[in-house]
Amino acid sequence: MKKECVAMLLAGGQGSRLYALTQNVAKPAVPFGGKYRIIDFPLSNCVNSGVDTVGVLTQYQPLELNVYLGNGEPWDLDRANGGLHSLAPYTLAGDAGSWYKGTANAIYQNIGFIDQYDPEYVFVLSGDNISKMDYREMLAIHKERNAAATISVLTVTMEEAKRFGIMNVRDDDSIYEFEEKPAHPKSNLASMGVYCFTWSKLRKYLVEDEADPNSSNDFGKNIIPNMLNAGETMMVYRFNGYWKDVGTINSLWDANMDILDPEGDLSVYDQKWPLWARNPIRPPHLIQEHASINHSFISSGCIIDGDIQNSIISDSVEVGHGAIVRYSVVMPGAKILPGATVEYAILAEDVVIGAGAHVGSDQVYDDPNKKVAVVGKGVEIAPGAEIEAGAMLYPEKKGGDK
Amino acid sequence: MLTNLHAIIFTNRSNYESNLNELTAVRSMSSVPYGGRYRLIDFMLSNMTNAGIADVGLVLQENYQSLLDHVESGKDWDLARKRGGLRLLPPFSQKPGSGNPRGRVEALANLGSYVADIKQEYILLADGDVAINIDLHKVFDAHIASGADITPVVTSKYTGEPQCTVYYVAKEDGQYDIVHGPDEPVGQEDLNIYIMSKDFLLKQVKEAATHSNFYSMIKHVLLPNASKLKICPYVFEGYASRITSVASYFKRSMELLEPAVLADLFTPERPIFSKDRTDASTYYSPESRVTNSIVSDGCIIEGVVENSILFRNVKIGKGCVVKNCVLMKDVEVGENTALNYVIADKSVSISANSTLGGAESYPLLLGKGSKV
Repeated sequence: MKKECVAMLLAGGQGSRLYALTQNVAKPAVPFGGKYRIIDFPLSNCVNSGVDTVGVLTQYQPLELNVYLGNGEPWDLDRANGGLHSLAPYTLAGDAGSWYKGTANAIYQNIGFIDQYDPEYVFVLSGDNISKMDYREMLAIHKERNAAATISVLTVTMEEAKRFGIMNVRDDDSIYEFEEKPAHPKSNLASMGVYCFTWSKLRKYLVEDEADPNSSNDFGKNIIPNMLNAGETMMVYRFNGYWKDVGTINSLWDANMDILDPEGDLSVYDQKWPLWARNPIRPPHLIQEHASINHSFISSGCIIDGDIQNSIISDSVEVGHGAIVRYSVVMPGAKILPGATVEYAILAEDVVIGAGAHVGSDQVYDDPNKKVAVVGKGVEIAPGAEIEAGAMLYPEKKGGDK
Repeated sequence: MLTNLHAIIFTNRSNYESNLNELTAVRSMSSVPYGGRYRLIDFMLSNMTNAGIADVGLVLQENYQSLLDHVESGKDWDLARKRGGLRLLPPFSQKPGSGNPRGRVEALANLGSYVADIKQEYILLADGDVAINIDLHKVFDAHIASGADITPVVTSKYTGEPQCTVYYVAKEDGQYDIVHGPDEPVGQEDLNIYIMSKDFLLKQVKEAATHSNFYSMIKHVLLPNASKLKICPYVFEGYASRITSVASYFKRSMELLEPAVLADLFTPERPIFSKDRTDASTYYSPESRVTNSIVSDGCIIEGVVENSILFRNVKIGKGCVVKNCVLMKDVEVGENTALNYVIADKSVSISANSTLGGAESYPLLLGKGSKV
C-alpha cells in the first residue's frame, strides 16, 4: 500500500571508537540516558514526525539490536501496513549479493523493500545520532523547493567545520558544492547524516552508482556529489536544536551529561516530543537510609544506599552504602558494592565494582580530552582494585560467545 | 506451563470496597494503584503469566472503565493471544436482568455457558485485589497430589478484617473447621484463591442457576460441606497484602519500604508485569534530599522526601518536605509545601506554601484530580 514517506535507518555501524562498549553489540543498541538506547532517538523522531514505515539496516553484531527492536511495538511501529522492519544483507541466486558495501549500497540492496510502499519521499537517517528532530520540517522545505534531496545541516564553528562534511550553499540555501572535511572550509554548514530524497530520483542514482565499479557506494562520497554534478536541486535544512554524533567515548559521555538537564533541549520530560523505548518492567527504585542524590537520574529497579552526583543510573542498578558515583554513566544491572568509588566512568551492563574499589579519577568537566574510564559488559572489578582514569576494560568472553 | 488450568479473576469481589472511600469511587478494587507503578490486578495477572496459564477470564461487575483502560488486550501480561488469552467478561455478557451477583458462584452462573465451555480440566478462582507473588505451579501440584475437591490458598500472616474473612482450623482427623467472620483471626486465613476441577465448579454453577438462594462460594459451597468435601489448604509462606481500609492501604504501602518485603513481592524469578508507558528516569535535583522511599520513573524531585511512596511522574517542588506519604501518578506538589501522612490519588495538585497532614492511623486522603 502506498506511503508518502518511508524512513531508512542506517544501524549497521560497528562504532569501533566506542571500543569496549561495542564489542558484542551494534552502536545503535548501546544504552543511553538511563532508559534508552541510541537508536530510540531516530526511531522516536520517526514516530513523532508521523513516519510509520521504517526499515532498519543492520549488519554488525545485530542480535541484541534485533532482539531490542522486536516487532516495533514499543514505538507503535507494529503496524498492519508499514511498521518497523529489520533489514539484513542477503544473498541472491548464483552466489550474488554481499554485505552492505557502503551506506548507498545498503539502501540499494533494499530497493525492493522501499518499492513495496511506492513512496514519494525517503528519509535516510543515521542510527547513531542523539537529537530530537521533526522530519516534517525538512520535508516541508523539500516539497516547497521541489528538491531532489534535502540535507539537514548544523551550524558549526569554522574550526569544527574541518572535521565535517560541509555544504556550500547559494543565497537561497540550495547546495552548489559538498566538501568532505575541507582544510579551508567555505561554509560552516555541517551535514548531520539526515537526508530527505525524492524516491524516484534517489532510486535512479542508486542504480547508477551500483553499476560503477569504482564507487565506494557511499552517500557522502558518491550519491550526493553525483546528484550535484547532474544539476539536481538540492537544499539544506538548517537544524537549530541539539545534535550529537556519539561516535566516541567522550561524546557519548557528554551527550549523557547533556540529557541530565530537565530543562535542556534534550529533556526527557518534554511531553510534546516523547522518547519511546523498550523497557523491562521493573519495580520502582528504592532509596535507602544513607542515600544522597544530587543532579542525577535514577531508574526503575535500582536500590540506592550510596552517594550519587551528576550521574545517569539505568535500571536495576545497586549502589551500596558508602559507595560514591560521580560524573558517570551506569548501564542496566550494574552493581557498585559498598565503599566503592566511580568517577568519570561509563560502566556497561552487569558490571560489578567490588567493595572499596576505585574506578576513574576526577577530571575537568569541560575538557574535550578528559579521560573517561570504561568498564565493558559483565566485567567484575575486584574489591579494593584501582582502575585508572581513561582505562578501557573489555567485556569478559564467555563460552559460546564469539 | 499450566495448560490444563483455566483461571477466572473476580475484579469486584471485595467486602472492603466501601471502606476505601474515594480510592474506589473512581475504580474497582482490582484497579486500585499500589506499590508505585502497579494496580492490584497486576499481581494476580502476573501470577497467571508466570505460571504459563494461557486462558484467563476477568469477571467485571461495575465501575470497570479504569480497569479496562489498564488491562486493554492483556498484551502487557502476554495474554493477548490468537488462541485463548485474556477474556473480558463484562456484565452485559451475563444473564439479562441479573443485576449485581451476590457471590462468586452466582457471578459464574450469570456468564451462561462460559464455565461449561472451558476446555481445561481444572479451574483456578482468584480475587484481583490481593498483592501476592505466588508460584501457582506449586498450588496446582499440591491440588493434584492431594486429590482434594478444593484447594484454597491460605496464610498464617493475617491480612484481612476477621469479620469479613474465612479461616481454616485443622482438626485431629485431618479435616478442617471453616470459620467465617470470627471476632479474632484463628488458624489459617483464606486468601480467596482456589483450585478445583471444572466438574466440581460446574456442579456448583448449575446449582446456582436453578436455586436462587445458592450463590456464594463460602456460604453455600464451603461452609455447609466442610465435613463432606476434601478440602486441603495450601499454606503460602510469602508476603500477601490485602487492602481493607484507607488506613490499611497506607500500612500495606509502607510495608514495601522493607527491603525483604520488596524482594519477596518483586522476586526477579517471577516478575510483576504492568502497563508499559516508557517513562523517563527520575530526576533528583541538587536541592533534593530523599531517604527511605520508593520512587517510580518519570518523577522530578527538588525537595525533601522521607518514608514515602511516589508513583510515576510525580513532581515535588523546591523547599517541599514530604514525609510518610503515598503520592500517586501525576501528583504535583508546589514549592515550599509540607505533607505528612497524606495519600494523594492520581493527578492531585497541591498548591505551593501549604501544609497538609493526617495521622498514621488516619491518613489524609485526597481524591483523584483534586486541587488543594
